[in-house]
Amino acid sequence: MSRSPPAPAVRLDAVSVRYGSRVALRDVSLQVGRGEFVALAGPNGSGKTTLLRVLLGFLVPESGRAELLGDDLAGLPIRERARRVAWVPQDESPRDDVPILDYVLYGRYAHLGRLETEGARDRELARDALESVGLADRAGDGLLSISGGERQRAVLARALAQEAPILLLDEPTTHLDIGHQLDLLERVGALSRDRGVTVIAALHDLNLAARFAQRIVVLSRGRLHADGPSGAVLSEELLARVWGVAADLRRDPRTGAPYLLPHRNLPGPDAPTAPSGAGPVHVVGGGGAASPALRLLADRGFDLTAGALHLLDTDSETAEALGVPVAIEVPFAPLGSEVRERNRRLLATARAIVVAPFAVGPSNVANLEDLLPFAGRVPIVVLVRATDGRWDFTGGTATAVLDELRRRPGVVECALPELADRLRALLAPSPLGASATAVSR
Amino acid sequence: MSALAPSGASTGRGRRRRLWLALLLFGMALVLLFSPLVGSVDIDPLRVLAIVLSGGGVLFNPCAGAGPTCSLDVIAVWQGRVPEVLLAVLAGAALGISGGALQGIFRNPLADPYLLGISTGGTLGASLVFVLNVGEAQADLVLPLLAFLGSILTGAAILAVARGRYGSVETLLLTGVALNAFLSSILTVVLLYNPVGSIQVTFWLLGGLGGATWPRDGIAFGGILVAGTLIAIYGREINLLQLGNDVAQSAGVDARRVRNRVLLLASLATAVAVAFTGVIGFVGLAAPHAVRRVAGPDYRVVLPGAAVVGAAFLVAARDLSYLAFPGTVLPIGIFTSLAGAPFFFYLLYRRRQSTTMGGP
Repeated sequence: MSRSPPAPAVRLDAVSVRYGSRVALRDVSLQVGRGEFVALAGPNGSGKTTLLRVLLGFLVPESGRAELLGDDLAGLPIRERARRVAWVPQDESPRDDVPILDYVLYGRYAHLGRLETEGARDRELARDALESVGLADRAGDGLLSISGGERQRAVLARALAQEAPILLLDEPTTHLDIGHQLDLLERVGALSRDRGVTVIAALHDLNLAARFAQRIVVLSRGRLHADGPSGAVLSEELLARVWGVAADLRRDPRTGAPYLLPHRNLPGPDAPTAPSGAGPVHVVGGGGAASPALRLLADRGFDLTAGALHLLDTDSETAEALGVPVAIEVPFAPLGSEVRERNRRLLATARAIVVAPFAVGPSNVANLEDLLPFAGRVPIVVLVRATDGRWDFTGGTATAVLDELRRRPGVVECALPELADRLRALLAPSPLGASATAVSR
Repeated sequence: MSALAPSGASTGRGRRRRLWLALLLFGMALVLLFSPLVGSVDIDPLRVLAIVLSGGGVLFNPCAGAGPTCSLDVIAVWQGRVPEVLLAVLAGAALGISGGALQGIFRNPLADPYLLGISTGGTLGASLVFVLNVGEAQADLVLPLLAFLGSILTGAAILAVARGRYGSVETLLLTGVALNAFLSSILTVVLLYNPVGSIQVTFWLLGGLGGATWPRDGIAFGGILVAGTLIAIYGREINLLQLGNDVAQSAGVDARRVRNRVLLLASLATAVAVAFTGVIGFVGLAAPHAVRRVAGPDYRVVLPGAAVVGAAFLVAARDLSYLAFPGTVLPIGIFTSLAGAPFFFYLLYRRRQSTTMGGP
């Protein structure tokens, strides 16, 4: 036989699995090289656990072929399978207070003969395994007397004592606090790096996946959706498509690993959303009064602008976080002519204007005054103020300007919960060709 | 080193476990030697010891210089008490190890031959003797046989379910419980229409060692030795099964095969015991728990330990059933439950380290 390169640790060839009528895996082909650390990602029910169960030999594929180290899984006896693949489940929850060393020795089962007891070598391997998970000094303690984080490390040690070149983990960090999550994955990463163990881990946390795995395989509805180096696979678009979640992709300045800041679910079909191509909505506010409206409208997919706001103001920070263009003045100064000009330009491009219930003082009363020329040209929605609470700190000027604004055509009032619906109606192209500005109270 | 030695033998725990096992065996030997002193008639204790040590007169004559009644004593002790004690040992061991094994494979602290209907199946089999009007002479042979078949068929019925696609541990356990109820109601119907037989069956239901003979002991010894040894060998697999089927399989244990085989072997051991003693409750439930409490959860210790404790428990129950109310003999099945339940409560509520099943 000619010397061929070693077979990959794992090879799946067009594997399909069905539970009754539900297809859990559909034509999945995957190859994992020896010593790789691969993260399996995907929403609940996407087939991650099913894929692991196929590799463990618990599930027989309906079609396709699964190989471990070059041999067909279906042909491997259960003990031989155990010598090739070890498993760390999400939550083993042991019932008995077995001494940890004894428990780790359970992992030697596949290497022992029918009537053989564990020998010196088995003990040594078990102690090694405990050493590498940092539990060497707890060997005599009972499994129920240690913390959840330590227990999961004991489970890892049991899997290591199995001496299998392939290690499968199913959400191993689910029940751990963040410190133990990092600790466990660092240890698994070290195994892969230093001992050449092939690791395939289903991980819900994409940031942990990106940080520890070299490669991420994304499953979606039983299909292989993406497969590649962590840095290349993760994207905002992937998160939106597979998980239905909007997120910002950042990069960890220390590790260089990409990380995702998920911020909201993409709107379902029922939530009112911005009419397509509606153009920007300008929000006027300050002191945090506009933030709820900004967040709500951003969530519903409206294009937004805001202003004029002061730097370091809560609303300006919200606007910045949401990526909303904003006209900004330095803190506490009256709005300067340059800032007002920029604000007016934003107002001019807006298809609608929202006036938040903000406190008005000498430094920002211009925000109200600058709205008057736009009344009647674009719809203006004034958010209802709470009746109690003082907001006019201008000695009556602000109240007078707001009352004047309310009298103009095309100016409506509404409460925050109805804002998105109201704007949608105002911005929707009218079937009669009537201008949106014709709307009045 | 034997396959049964605990893996933690080098640790303090392991040494303590071995000490416990040695203590148990020693107590067992004492009980064995002195139990024949107890019986339904008064016999001089020294003569009883002499008869036992002489092997019923084979090694030396225990009646040298004694009166003519001595030969009757030899028969009473050697053909009566000794086989009875040995049957108590065998049945107790069989019930203890079966209970331990069933608790292990079902991962349920309540599982025992009784709960799963294996004992009830034996009773139903035995009751057929009275329905079929078997002659007195043949009944001696037919009753144990039918009881054995009843038990083993019940075990096989549970197994048949296990072979199906949905044979999860829970399904299996519930099948046994349902089967128990089903067999019990059939038994009730059978007894209702056979008032004469029902008294005999009721006595049989209470369990007893009265039927002990040397040949029967021999048969029981053979069956229980084989089944018990094979069960004990599965200690390591049962340990792994405690971590859940999936983990056990990932470590190389063929979970389903182990479960089916152990269920079959436990049914076999129980069937042999039920065939000769009737239904003796509580031993199968309490013995493994007692061992777990003192020696920890390792099934390589629990299984042989439960056999020894079950045997000692049943022998002690036999002795006490003679001694408790002089002049009358309580049925041993009543006695095991009567004495066993308080002991069991004591074990449960004595707060020790959480070596009990069922987790934290």
